[in-house]
Amino acid sequence: MPQSTIVRLEGITKVYGMGDTTVHALAGIDLTIEQGEYCAIMGASGSGKSTMMNVIGCLDRPTDGQYYLDGQDVAQVGDRDLAHIRNQKLGFVFQQFHLLPQLSALENVMLPMVYASVPTAERRERATEALMRVGLGNRLQNRPNQLSGGQQQRVAIARAIVNRPVLLLADEPTGALDSTTTREILTIFGELNKSGMTVVMVTHESEVARCTNRVIWFKDGQVMQPYLAPEDLGTVTAA
Amino acid sequence: MDWVESGKMAVKTLTANKMRSSLTMLGMIIGNASVIAMVGIGQGAQRLASEQFESLGPNVLFVAPGSGQARQRTTNLPRTLVWDDAKAIASQVPSVQEVAAQKQGQYPIVYGGLNSSSSVTGTTPSFLSVRSFDVAKGRFLTDLDLQRNQRVVALGADLANRFFSDQDPIGKRIRIRNVSFQVIGVMRPKGSFLGSNQDDVAYIPLTTMASTLTGRTSPYGLDVTFISVSAKNEASVPAAEFQITNLLRRRHKIVSQDDFTVQAQKDILQIVGTITGGLTAMLAAIAGVSLLVGGIGIMNIMLVSVTERTQEIGLRKAIGASGQDILVQFMIEAVLLSAAGGLIGTGVGVGGTLLVATFSPLKAAISPAAIALAVSVSGTIGLVFGVIPARQAAKLDPIVALRSA
Repeated sequence: MPQSTIVRLEGITKVYGMGDTTVHALAGIDLTIEQGEYCAIMGASGSGKSTMMNVIGCLDRPTDGQYYLDGQDVAQVGDRDLAHIRNQKLGFVFQQFHLLPQLSALENVMLPMVYASVPTAERRERATEALMRVGLGNRLQNRPNQLSGGQQQRVAIARAIVNRPVLLLADEPTGALDSTTTREILTIFGELNKSGMTVVMVTHESEVARCTNRVIWFKDGQVMQPYLAPEDLGTVTAA
Repeated sequence: MDWVESGKMAVKTLTANKMRSSLTMLGMIIGNASVIAMVGIGQGAQRLASEQFESLGPNVLFVAPGSGQARQRTTNLPRTLVWDDAKAIASQVPSVQEVAAQKQGQYPIVYGGLNSSSSVTGTTPSFLSVRSFDVAKGRFLTDLDLQRNQRVVALGADLANRFFSDQDPIGKRIRIRNVSFQVIGVMRPKGSFLGSNQDDVAYIPLTTMASTLTGRTSPYGLDVTFISVSAKNEASVPAAEFQITNLLRRRHKIVSQDDFTVQAQKDILQIVGTITGGLTAMLAAIAGVSLLVGGIGIMNIMLVSVTERTQEIGLRKAIGASGQDILVQFMIEAVLLSAAGGLIGTGVGVGGTLLVATFSPLKAAISPAAIALAVSVSGTIGLVFGVIPARQAAKLDPIVALRSA
């Protein structure tokens, strides 16, 4: 598989507020993430890791700097195009799952394809396939409130991968789950990564980060350690 | 995201919260139903009034004391219209067929232990043909009765029934304001006219009425309440109207303002049409306000819905919905709510109108124009009042929206 750069950030800054009370959430970030990587973004709260996630996820625009996603300059594109990029190139998994309660598992997974104008028959087929991939082939018609937390998160993962994104972003994906379900979810992420999916997750749990191949350590809006091996995590957390 | 898809999604969202959706629609339902029912009932009243005046016959005219303006301002009318005017009209106006003078009053009537306060009309024999009344039993008044001031009475059907039920009333004596009258006839039932029962009336000679009940109250002669005139045919009505006016002006020595009014059936129909039309418009306007209130209710609920569904909006944006997709979604929900409410309201309104038409004398009619108006107005209201909440939803920042757990 040819290697290509999925995320390339050059001098990214994000400044909140005006005048005297400005906060530099991101203070000049240079970072690349290659195709097929499995990384964790870590750091203390307020270190800028969530802002980073939002910028990488095209939910927020940087104040300054260049951001190339899959080779495309997306730092300053308009709202509509940004929505299209999120739809086509990115998959999101959130701590709170964010499934729509009135829709079945299948319909929740079909939702991104609705916004991508995929024909209905194909939607159903691909959504079923995605749900089978996360082990929920027998729960297609269940509503979110009929599923356990781990199952709901698996539906959310299916929804994130159904539009075949180049990058899967997970924001504290195991934050609301117990340790057994956490392992199940991490196994799914691992399998997805093995099949070629680039995965980036924000977490504050070292055990979760240890399942990845690379840790990006944030502090005070800057990348302190762009290539930290997960087994060396003890050195930064101790410091 | 296409329209069909958005529509399905909206239906799903609205049906997920049935209680709220139906309560929101209630405003539109009531608004629509009341517009349609009000217009229907208003037009029914209009038709009923028109039909009653039409039932008088197309060649009937009425002469009443007081100018048109005076009749609107006061009930204390001049007593200048007299029986001699009626006789003059009958003998001098060529396009007139027959004339009946009427003098009306309300008096206690007693027979045995029974009594009733009923309308008493003093009139002339020509009343029958001018007003198309018929006698069911016995006879009506004659010229002789009038000449001799006879104390005789012809009873309306209801009145006869009330006093005599299965007895034969002919020849019996009843007391009207303590004056004894002999019953000579019973009228055929005629029904009510503009709410007053025409069968609850006692007919006595005009002369007797003046001499025994009212007394002579006018210096001009035997004053009357009004004069009914039948023209030779429908075409001669305008001529009759003109000639009667001229004759009376001459007789009353009018210089500037008429002290009488001549109205043909057509004139009355026109007045009735204007009044009931205005009434219908007023009813529709009042009902229209409830449509507006319904629209505001929808806006209210949609605003609450946007706040409640902040996370959903954030999620939809994260997985690729543009601001416009969200806008369209919320607009469709608002329009669906108001249009569905409008349709149900139309059903209720039509049902209500039919009920009124069945169980009341009002000939309530379903007006297609009112339905079209109410449905299109409710759809438009959904659009107009949906815009503000929908724009608020579309503007939401996905990051903030997702974080608002």
